Amino acid sequence: MKPYRKLIALSIGILAATVFTASAADSPVKGGTLVYLEQQSHTNLYPPAGGFYPNGGILNQITDKLTYQNPKTLEIEPWLAESWQVNDDATEYTFKLRSGVTFSDGTPVDAAAVAKNFDTFGLGNKGLKQPISEVVNNYERSEVIDPLTVKFHFKKPSPGFLQGTSVIGSGIVSLSTLALPFEQLGDATKIVGSGPFVVSQETIGKSLDLKAREDYNWGPAKLDHQGRAYLDEIKYVITGEDGVRIGALLAGQADFIRQIQAYDEQQVEGQGFTLYAPGTRGVNNSIVFRADNPLVSDVKVRKALSLAVNRDEIISTLFSKNYPKATSILSSAALGYVPQTDKLGYDPEKAKALLDEAGYKVGADGVREKDGQKLVLTSYASLPQPQSQAVLQLIAQQWGKIGVTFNVLAGDAGTKIVDELDPQKTPVAVAMVGRADPDVVKSQYYPTLRNVLLQKGGTSDKVQTFADEKLNAILDEIASQPDREKRLKAVGEAQAYVLDQAYAVPIFEEPQAFAGAAYVKGIAFEAVGRPSFYSTWLDK
Amino acid sequence: MTRYVAGRIGQAVLVLWAAFTLSFIILQAMPGDAVLIKFLNPEFGLSADQIREIRQAYAIDSGVLVQYAHTFANFLQGDFGYSMQAGVPVSVQLATNLPPTLRLAALGFGAAVVLAVFIAFLSSIAPFAWLRNLVQSLPSLFISVPVFWLAIMLIQIFSFRLKLVSVINPGPWESLILPVATLSVPIAAPLAQILIRNIDEIRTRPFVGVARAKGAGELHLLWRHVARNALLPTLTIAGVLFGELLAGAVVTETVFGLNGIGGLTEKAVSNQDLSVLQAVVVISAAAFVTINLAVDLAYPFLDPRLRTRNGA
Repeated sequence: MKPYRKLIALSIGILAATVFTASAADSPVKGGTLVYLEQQSHTNLYPPAGGFYPNGGILNQITDKLTYQNPKTLEIEPWLAESWQVNDDATEYTFKLRSGVTFSDGTPVDAAAVAKNFDTFGLGNKGLKQPISEVVNNYERSEVIDPLTVKFHFKKPSPGFLQGTSVIGSGIVSLSTLALPFEQLGDATKIVGSGPFVVSQETIGKSLDLKAREDYNWGPAKLDHQGRAYLDEIKYVITGEDGVRIGALLAGQADFIRQIQAYDEQQVEGQGFTLYAPGTRGVNNSIVFRADNPLVSDVKVRKALSLAVNRDEIISTLFSKNYPKATSILSSAALGYVPQTDKLGYDPEKAKALLDEAGYKVGADGVREKDGQKLVLTSYASLPQPQSQAVLQLIAQQWGKIGVTFNVLAGDAGTKIVDELDPQKTPVAVAMVGRADPDVVKSQYYPTLRNVLLQKGGTSDKVQTFADEKLNAILDEIASQPDREKRLKAVGEAQAYVLDQAYAVPIFEEPQAFAGAAYVKGIAFEAVGRPSFYSTWLDK
Repeated sequence: MTRYVAGRIGQAVLVLWAAFTLSFIILQAMPGDAVLIKFLNPEFGLSADQIREIRQAYAIDSGVLVQYAHTFANFLQGDFGYSMQAGVPVSVQLATNLPPTLRLAALGFGAAVVLAVFIAFLSSIAPFAWLRNLVQSLPSLFISVPVFWLAIMLIQIFSFRLKLVSVINPGPWESLILPVATLSVPIAAPLAQILIRNIDEIRTRPFVGVARAKGAGELHLLWRHVARNALLPTLTIAGVLFGELLAGAVVTETVFGLNGIGGLTEKAVSNQDLSVLQAVVVISAAAFVTINLAVDLAYPFLDPRLRTRNGA
């Protein structure tokens, strides 16, 4: 009997030990400091400026939003708002707030504070120079119904608003923060939110320290993790140089870094570090044509240029598996995505035929021309986009094969911005925007919004005539159709229409690349790839 | 002497005003402006009307002269304004970035002087001709090494491989070791070059032969007779090298992730952040003028001949 007993005892012991270690490895450890290397210093931290990744990476830790967009399902879930109601035509939104939530300065997150936030984001504050938020459309006014209930009224249906309350640009900040003029909001210590971390110290342009809030108890309701953040502190250090940032991670001087180019991925993964490449779920990394320029005003020319772009070559030469080939103007993980692969082929022979048809004949120097006008196009590389210069240069080679010259410029910021408003100077531009709501499509192409196609009536006074009313009607439908099915149908139409007109040549689905040491656990990303360190812990 | 100093200070003020005005004109002539760069940016996605309103709020489209007068008046009162890009007062940016750059520049310069003197002396007293030649070619090598490459190499070797110093979150002195080493190399090169050439030239002078005939040893000769005479032109070049020092600081600060005037300037230029840039230009000009003034005033102390001429 005895040996048996021993054996049983032993196996029970082993079993207990395995269970114990397993649970120990899985259950998060509290404490520790995460050293996070950012490529660029943050700029203005007014919440609607959170789209800039260095800003978003900070705002996501120090502010909470009314709602939480589940990054997997893209469903909107409760956060600061316990529940909400939307009327049938999406012109009235009523939010019931969670009680007991406070900003880090001790003031309550109540209906009055939330109302003031959206009044500012929706209407701007001219006196304080605070601009309007891109995600709040057709905003009229707020109404405080009781201390924990707030209602927002819209002039026109605003179906994108619910998702708009979940995005990085809608972080709720205290009244004291909103009382500051815009030009003072670049000081992180003045941004008072209700988030799981609080800014404890900052050396502007160099480093930023965040401390966990002990009393934080109002994370997104459906997350497993509740209560305070696991980490005690996060230390942001600006490390602009790619080599130094990656080297520091590999040498153990940092735990987590942002921005790894595809050519550095192998080095990072090869040494046992984890690569994170969350997608940005919006309009894909694309090049767009400005049809106001006579060179690209003919749809045949645009189609030819589109057919001559070899996405496979671009991805295999410059990128990795984390940069999926584009199959529409929208990311395949975006709401309302409809694949458009038949419109995105690579066929240089057909491209040549189309250019011949359009009247562009190959001249003596190998460049196509029509009525003495050479088919020479120009574009600026886009600094925030991964290897934009290299991508454009590769496209220039591919277009060169069908007799089109493509000049890629890298000018200073001022020259680029001025030239990019002039379709004659930049018939081609790089475009990309991340947001996990169909509104993103309107935002990208609509003349009074980002207006990447440079239609008349937008930010540029250099446009002569180009406007596409059919496209704009579809975009209007997307932003104001309260019926979800109809709205998503319009999103599908927009994708097909933009590609039928060959206004855009989507290239790849742009990720945000991060890397971390193996012991960094529980890294999460919001729907557009900004890190959240609320549930992060260090297994060491 | 007092008149001389007053005249030089008057000149300095004129230089500062010219620097301010010129930088203002150049920035105005550049396409685009800070407001466009800041707000016509994908991070905001603002509409045409909203941008128009913001431009009005910042009065960016008012006349050039009005803007000039406005900025100049504020400047005279010590109000540098706000950084459009960073959203903080320029005075705060200067307060966080000026001291580290000054520390880096001072230490870098000090290290460069030590290095230059060492090279120059070695090149004249080293035992073998081939060794002297080798040492003499060091300045050319130093000046051709790109600062950027040197910085990365030092980090890779001393921080990432040998793990002797930390680049991320280093201690206050630890953070200066590699940057100072990096910065001193390109500054030491011209200093050493000039020192070597002067030493060589002065050694051929008759008084050196006399001193040697009197029985002075090589080292004594070098230190007491040659070096003092060789120092003057070196000092002149040292004043001019300050500009080089600032330029080197930009690269060094960027690679090592240090905050400082270099990085601040780089960002301000690319974003046409007028108020930051003007403050930096004026402060750099002031530093440049002060250092060169100090150098000029130091001459009489090093060279008795200048003292008598002033007195006469």
